[in-house]
Parts: sequence; structure tokens; C-alpha cells
Amino acid sequence: MNKLFRNLFIIILIIIFVVAFSSSYLSLSMDNLAYVLAIGIDKSPDSNSDLQVSFQFSTTSQASEAGSTEKSPTVINSVTASSLSTAINLMNSYMGKELNMSHCKVIIFSEQLAEEGISDEIYTLINNTQVRPSSNIIISKCTAKTYIEQTSPELENLISKYYEIFNNSGKYTGFMPDATIGTFFNNIICTTCEPVAILGGLAKEQPSNNMAHENFNITANESSIEGQNGSENIGMAVFKGDEIVGELSSLETIAYLTMHNKVDRFLISIPDPEVTGHYLDIYLTPTGSTKVKIDTSTSSPYIKVKTKFTGRIYSMSENSNYLKPEILDAISNTCNQYLESVFSAYLYKTSKEFKSDINGFGKTAQSNFFTTNEYNAYNWHDSFKNSFFDVKVDTSVKSGMLITQTEDS
Amino acid sequence: MTKSKIGTLESIMLVLTIVITHTISSLPREILVSTKSASLINLMFVSILVILFAYLISKLFKKFPGSDIIDVSEFLGGKVFKIIVGVIFISYFLVSSSILLRNFCESLKIIYYPMTNILFIIAMFVIAICTANRLDFNASLKTNLLILPLVLASMVFLFFSNMNKFSPERIFPIFGDGLFDTFVLGLGNIASFGGVAFLYFLPPYMKQPEKLKKVSMISIGLSAIYLILCVATLLFMFSFFIDTNEITPLYNATRYIEFGSFFQRLESVFLLIWILAFACYLSIVIKFSMSIFKKLTNIETKKPLVDIFGLLILAITLLPKNYAISENFELKIYPCLVIGIVFFLGGSILLLANLVKNKQKSSS
Repeated sequence: MNKLFRNLFIIILIIIFVVAFSSSYLSLSMDNLAYVLAIGIDKSPDSNSDLQVSFQFSTTSQASEAGSTEKSPTVINSVTASSLSTAINLMNSYMGKELNMSHCKVIIFSEQLAEEGISDEIYTLINNTQVRPSSNIIISKCTAKTYIEQTSPELENLISKYYEIFNNSGKYTGFMPDATIGTFFNNIICTTCEPVAILGGLAKEQPSNNMAHENFNITANESSIEGQNGSENIGMAVFKGDEIVGELSSLETIAYLTMHNKVDRFLISIPDPEVTGHYLDIYLTPTGSTKVKIDTSTSSPYIKVKTKFTGRIYSMSENSNYLKPEILDAISNTCNQYLESVFSAYLYKTSKEFKSDINGFGKTAQSNFFTTNEYNAYNWHDSFKNSFFDVKVDTSVKSGMLITQTEDS
Repeated sequence: MTKSKIGTLESIMLVLTIVITHTISSLPREILVSTKSASLINLMFVSILVILFAYLISKLFKKFPGSDIIDVSEFLGGKVFKIIVGVIFISYFLVSSSILLRNFCESLKIIYYPMTNILFIIAMFVIAICTANRLDFNASLKTNLLILPLVLASMVFLFFSNMNKFSPERIFPIFGDGLFDTFVLGLGNIASFGGVAFLYFLPPYMKQPEKLKKVSMISIGLSAIYLILCVATLLFMFSFFIDTNEITPLYNATRYIEFGSFFQRLESVFLLIWILAFACYLSIVIKFSMSIFKKLTNIETKKPLVDIFGLLILAITLLPKNYAISENFELKIYPCLVIGIVFFLGGSILLLANLVKNKQKSSS
């Protein structure tokens, strides 16, 4: 009798728990969820205080029915609301499914909205358990909605796959940073650094007439790229707090990534020391991490930056001889001078023009102080704009790639 | 009786349990808030002090072989004092573990069970610990021996897999808010070593009580390394835990672990391991609370107490009206309880008892 009573009790208990936990299970069931792949946040065109939020969804049923070579379709819906959470709520109601952000890979803000500050939206998104800290943040020079609409990957059938890998090229081009919402949030709160985001725009909106060697000094919206994918991501948006204060070109982004040791290799175009008016393309690989030393003995910080690269000459033309050590030394010296001027210009731009310590020099400067009070008294935020920089680049160009010597034909 | 005796390794893991579970909750953030960039130096300093304290405890227990703090209190102040000390320790164990459980369940609810009433999430733990305590004395201690190394390994994994996101410069300014704040006000961080409480009750259960010194040293040393690892992970990764309160800070760190596009979202594995660690901790707490109660009341068997203590934990867990109350308890009241009961009361009892014993010896 006792055993029967015990078994009955266990069965009742199991039933109660199944019922209690099933509501959570059902709310997270795939059938009841609409997976958001990208969120675009714009200022409402009608009202100054409202937001226009665009959501890009994957249509799972059609994606599975489509063959492997067909692109899976996506749905883009927009809603105007007073806040991001209200917009999500309205869209829940419209879609008949609950929006799930756990697969949201990209969050796009329009430049117009970023100028007014995006901390409310960032805090709301970080507060959401579904949003991954690895979701990328893009500041679009066009509206976020247009950016999403124009994004149409050519080599990927699944747009979610494209969103996952699109910024990988930054590691070998140095043209865009790895800016995630996690680091963005971290840097908004950080007292010693400032946030950055990927700069996005539309391909071929304002094609530049740059010289070939200036192809390295462009931002999104300015490249000469023509293709099916209507959007492009080149350069980065610089923030002070939660407001955008400027943008950096691709070459300046290389400088940023070098300061952060986040670039594996990159290509630059330098003047050929042997032939006037001719440019050489060099593939540079950082060797070791960038060394930063900061002198805070005066109210103007003196920041010394030292970087090292090894290089291979990528471009090849007739009558090139890269087997002579003196030629390689001359190329190395030109490379050093070129990079020193680029890095110095970048650093002065961040301190004098943007007044934003996106390189996180403040963190290094803290090592000069024993206590937080001493550091606060130095007032790094205000002092940073008076900084002086001394950049030393040590490049060692090793050789060409497969061909090391050519002659006139 | 020998079946209910525990080995050295089990004893070490037992002491570690308290530190580990509190670390999963909000302990590292509390340390970061109080000592900021000097947290690691402060922890090293505090660890040395606690190791010395643990050494002192093992020395003081030498004159009371095979006794626990309850027996020592009886020797010191008679039965009434024994009951008072026993009730204080039972209350401390039950209240601190219940509130900790509440905070952890709140996190679980937010993360995984948004639609489930928190009562059912808590009840799952209570049923688990009641079932475990019906088994052999050693059952939960042996399970603890299996789970705890897993938790320790997961923390080491967490530290190393997030290393590429570290900014070691965050350790500066090296003395944080100043020497006074780091080394004097920061002394409050000894509350992180709540595991010392179990050292008071271990001797009667140990196969070799003479190894208490070894157990104390190793367990506190491991706790210190573990705490330093967890605090370092948060300090080097995030700038916001000092100013922003986020539930289960270490969970936040687990969300950043990614190895390519294949190994992502490992936080679920961490949560599973932590749930097991919590169940072990609660099970041990209830076991020790029952043992103290048995000692106070001289009852023959502990088994009928299991459900009563389980229900007590459930009731205390449901007491806070909201997360703010339970979090405030953990942030403000729990450290005071550890310092007051574990370090001050426990230490004083042992010290005074030793003085009395010495006096008795010299007079005889």
C-alpha cells in the first residue's frame, strides 16, 4: 500500500512538472518562433522621436523546399514605434509568431540615428537573452532598411551564412573591423576606450574616381565595385560614447586594426623607390604585437607606438629585380615612411579631430598611475586630445612572391 | 560508522563547493565592485590571510580530536551555548544556501524557462536534494567528488578560451581606489571564502582527522586559485561589471566562447554543469544541517528530517518578493554573515575553548 502510494505520488509529481515546464518549452518551440537574421534601425521619416525598425527573417519552409543551388528567400518587414522593444512587440503581433533574436547576426543603425546616440537601443539589445554578443554592428550611410534590402550575397544561398562570414575578409584586407555588439557595449561603458562599428553603405552610390593606388583610401559608398550585392562594408564608424563622431577609410582601418593586433595580413600600395610615379603593392604581415608606451608626465600625453612587419612584393612588372638586398632595403624604407605617415595621420585624426580614444590608449596609460584617483585627476578623456604621437614602423620586405626577377621584353 | 567517514579528497571538494557555487552566482562581481582593478591583488592578499586562518583552525582543533565546532561549544559553554551555536550555524547554512538557490533559479528562469513559475524550478532542486539525502551518507559527497572537478575544469576552459578577448591592462591602476581601500576595506572580501564553515564540521566525518591541516590548506589554496581565475576572466574581459549589474556574470563570459562556426553557444553546457554543482552544494548543506540538528536534539535517525529541511529551503527560497531582495541579501547580508558567523564566531569559539583547555591543563 505504501509503495503504491509512493508510486502514485511520483507519477502525479512528474505530471505536474511536465505541465509546468511545457509552457517554456512551447514558447521556445521552432513552430512558434520567427527567426530574425538582421535588424535595421532608422529614425522614423514621419516622427523625430520614433524609430523605424526593419526585421529580416528567413523563411524556413521555403528554404528547405528550395534546391541547394537556389537562394533561400528572406522577408523584410518594417514597423515604426517609439522604442525598439515596442517595435518587436508590434512585429510579434503582425507575424503571428514570436520574434527570436538568437540567430540575429547583424544589427544595422543608420548614420542619421547614430549621430543622435544609440545607447538606448544597445542597452535594450544587450538586455535581451537571445541576442548574441557576437552579432555585428554596422553603421549604414544609407538607411538601415535600404541596406538590408540591398544586401544580396552572390556566393551564398543562405543570407544567414553570408552575415556570419562577411567580416572575415577584414582579417586579410584590414578594410573593416570586427565590431560586435558585445564589444560595442563594453566600450560604451568603458572609461578608457571608445566604441567603433563597421561602416556600411551601398555599392556604386558615389563611385570614386580615385587613382589605382588610392583604392586603399576609401569608405563604404565610395568604392568602384559593381556587382549583384548592392551593399558594401568598407571602413569604420568612430563613436564617442554612443554618438558617431566620424568615419575612417580603409587605410585608416588598417591602422586601427594594427594598433589592436587584429589584422593577420594586408595589402598596401607604396611609391616605388626605383621608378618615379610607379606604385608597388606589398603584402604585409605584422610580426609580434604593436608596442605602446605612454608618457603622462605632462598634461599632453606622449604616445610612442612601435610596430613590425614583414612584407612580400605582390605586384610584378617588367624589369623588376627583387634579388638585390639594396633594392629590398630601399623598398622597406619607403614602406616604413609610408606607414609611419599613415599611422601618424590616423592617430592625430582620432585624438584631434574625433577626440575619441578608440585605440584604448587610456588602458595602457592607467599603468602609469597607482590609484584610480590619480588616473581620474589626470583626466584622460580631456588630455587625450592634446596627445603627441611618435610612430616607428620597422618593415622588412623579404622578396617577391614566386617571381623575384624579371627583365625588359 | 566507517561507511560514513570521508577521505581527504572528498573533504577538499566539500570545502570548495561553497566557493564554487557562490562564484557561479555573483561573487566575482562583488569582488570587482569593491576593489575594482586591484581585485586580483586584493584576492591574493585575502587568500593569504584566509590560509593563515585555516591553518589556525586546524591547529586549534588539535586539542579537540574528532570533535566539531558544536562539541567544542558544548565544552566551552555547556548545552545552552551548544544549542545557540548549532541553531546559528543551521540558520546560516539554510538561509545562505536558499537565497543563493533563489538567485540561481531566477537566472535559470530568465535564460531558459521564461514561462515557468519559479516555484517549479526551485522545487526541482529541492526534490533532487531530498532524494540524494535519502541515500547513503557518502552518496552526495562522492557525486560532489565527480562534479566539482568538472566545474573546476570548465572554469579553466572558460579562462583560456576567452583569452583572445582579454585586455590585461585592466589590472591597472594596480592599487585600484588606493592602498586603504584595497588592503583595509578590501578585507571584507574574506567573505568570499565561506567554505571555511565546513572545516568546523569536518573532523568527526574524516577518516583521518589528523589530516585536517592538509585539507584546510589545499582546499583554501584551490579556492583562492579558482576565485582568482574567475575574477581575472571578468576583469580582463569586461569593463562593465564595476558599473553595471548583470545576472550570473560568468554566464555572460561563457556566451563569448566560439571556436569557428561549429563550436558556438557553449553556455548551455556550462549551465548544465553548474546546475549539477548547485544540486551537490544544496545536498551537502542539508546533510550538514541535519547532522547539527541531530547533535542538538539527540534523535536517532536523520531520515525524517530530510523532507522538513527540504521544505524549509523551499520556503526560505520563496520568501524574497523579487530578485532585488534576494540579490541584496547576497551582496550585503551574506558577506556579513560569513565574517560574523564563520570567521568571528567560529574562530572565537575555538580560540576561547583552547584557552580554557590550556587553563584546565595548567591547573590540573
